[in-house]
Amino acid sequence: MNFLTIVVRGLLRRPVRTGLTLVGISIGIAAVVALVGISHGFEASWATGMKVRGTDIVVSNMGNALAPKPFSAEVRDRIGKLPEVAAACSIYADLTSVEDASMMVVSAREWGGFSWQNLKLISGRMPNDGMEDAVVLGQTAAEMLKKKIGDPLQLETKELKVVGIVDGGAMVENGSVILSLELFQKITGNEDRINVIDIRAAPGMSEEAVKQLCDKINAIAPEAKAMVAGEHLGNSQAFRFISAMSWGTSLLAVIVGVLGVMNTMLMTVFERKQEMCILLAIGWKPSRIIRMILWESALLGFLGGIVGVIIGTISVKVLEQLPAIHGMLEPDFNGGLMAVAVVLAVVVGVISGLYPAWRSSRLTPSLAMQG
Amino acid sequence: MKTLLRLIFPALLAVSAHADSASDLAAKLGAIQQNGASVVRLKMEVQGAGKSTLQLQIKQRRSSSSTEVVYQVLWPKDRAGESVLLRKTGDQSATGAIFIPPNTVRTLDSSQMKDSLLGSDLTYDDVVENFFLWKEQAVVGTEVVNRVSCDILESKPGRGQRSNYGSVRTWVDRRRDVPLRVEKYSSSGKLVRRIETTRVVTNDNKQAVPANLTVTGPRQGSVTELNGSSIKHDVSFSDREFAPTGFMEVSAGRSAGN
Repeated sequence: MNFLTIVVRGLLRRPVRTGLTLVGISIGIAAVVALVGISHGFEASWATGMKVRGTDIVVSNMGNALAPKPFSAEVRDRIGKLPEVAAACSIYADLTSVEDASMMVVSAREWGGFSWQNLKLISGRMPNDGMEDAVVLGQTAAEMLKKKIGDPLQLETKELKVVGIVDGGAMVENGSVILSLELFQKITGNEDRINVIDIRAAPGMSEEAVKQLCDKINAIAPEAKAMVAGEHLGNSQAFRFISAMSWGTSLLAVIVGVLGVMNTMLMTVFERKQEMCILLAIGWKPSRIIRMILWESALLGFLGGIVGVIIGTISVKVLEQLPAIHGMLEPDFNGGLMAVAVVLAVVVGVISGLYPAWRSSRLTPSLAMQG
Repeated sequence: MKTLLRLIFPALLAVSAHADSASDLAAKLGAIQQNGASVVRLKMEVQGAGKSTLQLQIKQRRSSSSTEVVYQVLWPKDRAGESVLLRKTGDQSATGAIFIPPNTVRTLDSSQMKDSLLGSDLTYDDVVENFFLWKEQAVVGTEVVNRVSCDILESKPGRGQRSNYGSVRTWVDRRRDVPLRVEKYSSSGKLVRRIETTRVVTNDNKQAVPANLTVTGPRQGSVTELNGSSIKHDVSFSDREFAPTGFMEVSAGRSAGN
């Protein structure tokens, strides 16, 4: 019988207890995978949205609200004059309830700007001009609003016509109501106000040069902040709060897992006191007993991690299918997250085993005779 | 002198300090409510026997002495354009008018202020009456609401102030000066209406405001949910927008700067 067999047999002595502990740690890890995966996915989706629009830099003023704060449309002209800027497109992005949908992204884009170019028509057509009372819907938005070509759509005080359904290439784009900036400004009474500028840098610029361009833009446009596309969402206090909440909730679940494993391992030490004492009597060193306990708890953590990753992934996939959420989640279950979750589970296992292992190291062979 | 008074009349001073803080708090909340011209967009869902959803635009001009409010239905299409105009000056009773497209205009007198606002669990009076400006204000306790410690402010109409309610209790989050719960009682002390909020946001004036309201009233099994989409302050309105001839037109509120 080798060392690993003893470790495995130790866990299998009480299969129900081991199983329940495994469930406890799995739920903790599943929470980590699900919440962090959703939060990363949201960030990744924004980054993809920027990439498909061909945006290198985003100029916005992300405060603690979900939508950026508006500023003067004149900022765009100031930025557009910089020689390193190949193109600039003004946007008014808003999160608002549309008809009976609770919250939707309304993306009003400068007519003729490059941010229209990534939209691939699935059906219908694009608006004929910047003042036509028309919108195009991302395919998820069309599903959520139950709209087809020709249907009316009430936006603020104006009834508009759905003229096209588009694939924007990213979840955020596909969940948006998209219309001309000029039309949106008119119907919301926000003339000359925008809250985002998409910037395309001159061809051939290195990452470093793009960052330097951000600094240059920040110097001439203090009303907003220029950031490399994809990084700007992380600058939002609201997003940082959501991310912190995800990790905070996950941490709580993991702490519960730690306590569960610790309890199991302590019980193991108490129940197997005689066995350990005999092992010491036949020549095992206390350090080997400690290793055995730590291996058992690490194995428990590892298995819990694997099961947790599977449960977390399946749970989010099921969530995605719910009608109320369908199309709103694009979780990012990358290999890195899975690996971190499993390593976290093993670390949790080892930490949970430290105290029981220390207790086991205090046993002496003579205790075996006491029964 | 104050030390001497504190020694002689400690209880009296405590009561006086409490009364001061209650009227200060009420004045502060009253001022926040009467904060100039603004436009609000919100979704209103009424769940009773059936479920109805309305998208609304609210235009309001509120000052320390008067309140003018126009509620306009933007959606659904079959009710779009339906509007309610309400006015209240000082301690006088509120008045108003209703417009139902294409051309029905009905005036509302003070006796109709108990009627339902657009089929919801709110009355017309609930929209224009600012009970924080009533004369009798007292802090009657503290309680935790949604894990937030709140002072309970009790407001009662004073002499010459008329209301359909005998008293109103407000649970105020003192850290942010925002009401988290309001309960309105009849003159016999019976709970008539409860308004609660679970989401507080910072508006464009950097003021904490409730972003959603859940209203339960005397109608059995009926609940009204109000979810705010946007709020814009310092809006310029023409007088016509608050006159019976003009409130039938649905138009966006323009920022004063535009």
